[in-house]
Amino acid sequence: MKPRERSHVDDFTTLGIMVKSKRGTTTASSKKSADTEKTSETLCQGLESSDDDAPEEVTFGDSKNEALRSLKLALDSAKREKELLKEKRRKRQELFQEQKKRKLLPAEVLEEIESASLKKVKESSAAEEDEAEETKSLMKRREKKRAEKHTRNLEGNYTVTTMKGGAAVSFQQKSAEDFLQSRLYGPGRLRTTNNQMLSLQNKRGSQKSAAVQFVKKDWALQQKAKAEKLKKRWIHKLQVPS
Amino acid sequence: MGEFVVHRVRFFDYMPSAIRAMAFNGSMQRLAVARGDGAVEIFNFADNYFQEKVIPGRSDRAIEALCWVRGRLFSAGLSGEIIEYDLEKLRPRYSVEAYGGPIWTISCNSQETLLGVGCEDGTVKMFEILEEGIQFQRNLDRQKGRIISLSWHPSGAQIAAGMIDMIRIFDAETGHATHRLLVERGLGTTRNTEVVVWSVAFLSNDTVISGDSAGKVQIWDAVTGTLIRSHLITKWDVLGLSVSQDESSVIAGTSEGTVVQFQALASTMGQENNQWVRTRTFKNHTHDVRALVHTDTAVVSGGMDTQLVVRPLLDKVEKNTKESALRKILFPHKSLVCCAKKAGLLLFQFPDHLELWRLGESSAKGQAGDRLPVMKNPEKLLQLQNKGEDHICCSAVSPCGSWVAFSTVSSVRLYKLQLSNGNISIKKVSKLPKELHSVHQLCFSSDSSRLFASSAQASVVVASLDQLQCKHLHTLKPKSGSSQPIHLLSASENGNWLAAAHTDGQIHVFNLHKLKLHCTLPVYSSCPTAIAIHPTTGHLLSAHADQQIFEFSLKLKEYTAWSRSLQREGLHPLWLQRDTPITHIAFNRNKPAHVFLHDAFMFCIIDQSLPLPQARKKLYNQMDLKTISPQKRIQESHAFKICKMFQHLLSVDLLDDSSLVVVERPLADIVSQLPPPVRQKKFAT
Repeated sequence: MKPRERSHVDDFTTLGIMVKSKRGTTTASSKKSADTEKTSETLCQGLESSDDDAPEEVTFGDSKNEALRSLKLALDSAKREKELLKEKRRKRQELFQEQKKRKLLPAEVLEEIESASLKKVKESSAAEEDEAEETKSLMKRREKKRAEKHTRNLEGNYTVTTMKGGAAVSFQQKSAEDFLQSRLYGPGRLRTTNNQMLSLQNKRGSQKSAAVQFVKKDWALQQKAKAEKLKKRWIHKLQVPS
Repeated sequence: MGEFVVHRVRFFDYMPSAIRAMAFNGSMQRLAVARGDGAVEIFNFADNYFQEKVIPGRSDRAIEALCWVRGRLFSAGLSGEIIEYDLEKLRPRYSVEAYGGPIWTISCNSQETLLGVGCEDGTVKMFEILEEGIQFQRNLDRQKGRIISLSWHPSGAQIAAGMIDMIRIFDAETGHATHRLLVERGLGTTRNTEVVVWSVAFLSNDTVISGDSAGKVQIWDAVTGTLIRSHLITKWDVLGLSVSQDESSVIAGTSEGTVVQFQALASTMGQENNQWVRTRTFKNHTHDVRALVHTDTAVVSGGMDTQLVVRPLLDKVEKNTKESALRKILFPHKSLVCCAKKAGLLLFQFPDHLELWRLGESSAKGQAGDRLPVMKNPEKLLQLQNKGEDHICCSAVSPCGSWVAFSTVSSVRLYKLQLSNGNISIKKVSKLPKELHSVHQLCFSSDSSRLFASSAQASVVVASLDQLQCKHLHTLKPKSGSSQPIHLLSASENGNWLAAAHTDGQIHVFNLHKLKLHCTLPVYSSCPTAIAIHPTTGHLLSAHADQQIFEFSLKLKEYTAWSRSLQREGLHPLWLQRDTPITHIAFNRNKPAHVFLHDAFMFCIIDQSLPLPQARKKLYNQMDLKTISPQKRIQESHAFKICKMFQHLLSVDLLDDSSLVVVERPLADIVSQLPPPVRQKKFAT
């Protein structure tokens, strides 16, 4: 909304200056905006060219009409802009709705799925009549599922769920572990790597030996691969010019 | 002595878990250690720091604190539950939900009637300790922000609670907060971050000592609520505090891996007003020290670098004795490797899975000390992932390699393997007898037709194995009413005997043909760490936590002559000074007089036909023997042939083709996988 309002105001300011200049006042140099400056310049030029001519007579009624017309024009343009914006919004809204629809499955597919599930239920009921055992196992499975969820359905729309195994406990545990982790190993804790520590120990120890990353083959594999690659490239470079 | 082809195995990626919490029971001399994977270990400090019991972990049980109440062990963790452990069945007895979110700390008053827990939601909850369990009593005033640490005043009338940016002191009677001690934040950029009071200690003279994340140890007056003294000891966090029994000394563990000792000392001689003075600094860890215990004579610390360090205070112990030596416990005191001797397979036990490897092969021959080219690389045949949350507590592979069994606290699983030229097929044995549900130790007979499992009430379940079937045959029970769990099982190679050792030191031998108790060995004061029955002579060899070795004849039901002479002459002092227990005993079938033993730092072949080493003679004389003439060598050589060529051993075993399997785990491999240490500037680096 804001930028539009501003443009509105701009229109009006230019308009006011125009009116002033048309009135034929000699002082036409209010340097408020670039646009107004331009108009005033042209005005000055015009004045200079017809220096010796007497000023053109403009009746008060004409100038009033002119002013009114331009005002109307400005108002119209503002209205148009508003409408354009409205149109834009509406189009956007439509687009969103369409996108939403696209995300959902088409109605036919949904219908099909519904009918399929109905069929399945029918089939299972048929099976129930045929084989008692299978239904028993199904029931058992269902019961198991219910037991796993830690929920129990009561009469009406109530369910009772135990807190154990719920998401809340593990979430709290997770956040507590995160707190511990961030306090001990978070940013600003001045930590280094084990490799650094071992190399420091090696440096300060009485027996000096090769760094751990060279002794142990499975250390710093990425860096080693990179070094190997660079070495190959370097050899290649040496060979090419000679 | 004989030469062996040695399989030097370094592909067991065993990774111990970080130590998160510790609690010491002074009257029982037991230390409980909680690890990051939820396992709880019990060490017997009266018996050479032997790891007596291990309660397997669970993947969602993040233990943050441990507490002994008389002989009972409680833990609390971020899962929000308080768990009491059954130390005989080695499993949780029950768990009580505190309904306060994750629990950060647990503390028992000195009267041992109430258990206070500090929760994430800002409440301190009181639980009454009853005979059969614990019962919620009440909440103290709820605070904003989590309760990180708790400490009872020895009178039981007040509790100090460490929180974020402050310490609260509660009146335990009314449950109201009486004091609020504001803890200053760190300097510089850390001024914007909240300071966490990781640990508090409430002393009987109304002094509160706190350790916080700004690296300060502060001493407060709890009566007036004022700060008396502040010691800045590290740039990182002070993660733990522990007070000695007589309240004259306090130790603080830091993220740097140092442990700093403070002592209450009079500023001038003969005056009463003691001041807390920083006295000693111990640096035995490379990573954060998360848990601390101040025993009467030593500082026990553990942390992210997974080692348990016992550092004796030299003013409290006699110099140059066994007690004055620094102890580092790196590896579990029971074997995690099982070797199928006939098939040449190795089974590695991890907390949540098992790995089965086939050993590599080499056809080349070489001199002693040569490195043979590997013709066929070792091959990972199988990775068995355990379903569910519970971790694996024991596992076994049969000597022929066709059966694999493992157990968690709730169930046993048995698999039949078929290896046929490169193809492997595995079938789960679906119906196991119901006696096999909660076992502590598994063992197969040498012909792979029987499975032995140590079960509750110190009984041994014998099951027969047959083409995908497992049937319960018998449950062997010792006569005496010992209910301590069986931690070692060993079957003889001829299938006659089965030996079972309990954590209280009893060893029972069962006759497997009659399915009856054959005999009970005289109970030695130290716990057995490894037992084995000799394949030809039928002697039972046992190694104990105090490094003694006994040999017992099962036929005559008495100690053998060799064992008696060993006791008479005594073991070599250097042998007795070793600080890791012997975890496995094996025999060489071609040379019946040879016994293979190993601990974490050496393996030893005892030749029973040779004279025992004199105390004044050199024990580690293998290098010397190489250089001298053969005649002199015979004179000089003694029964203990010790090899230290392989370091940090997890297992040594002898295959049926007389090649030796040595499973090593270099410490650098473990260090490389630890979480990052702090960055410290060292001069001139």
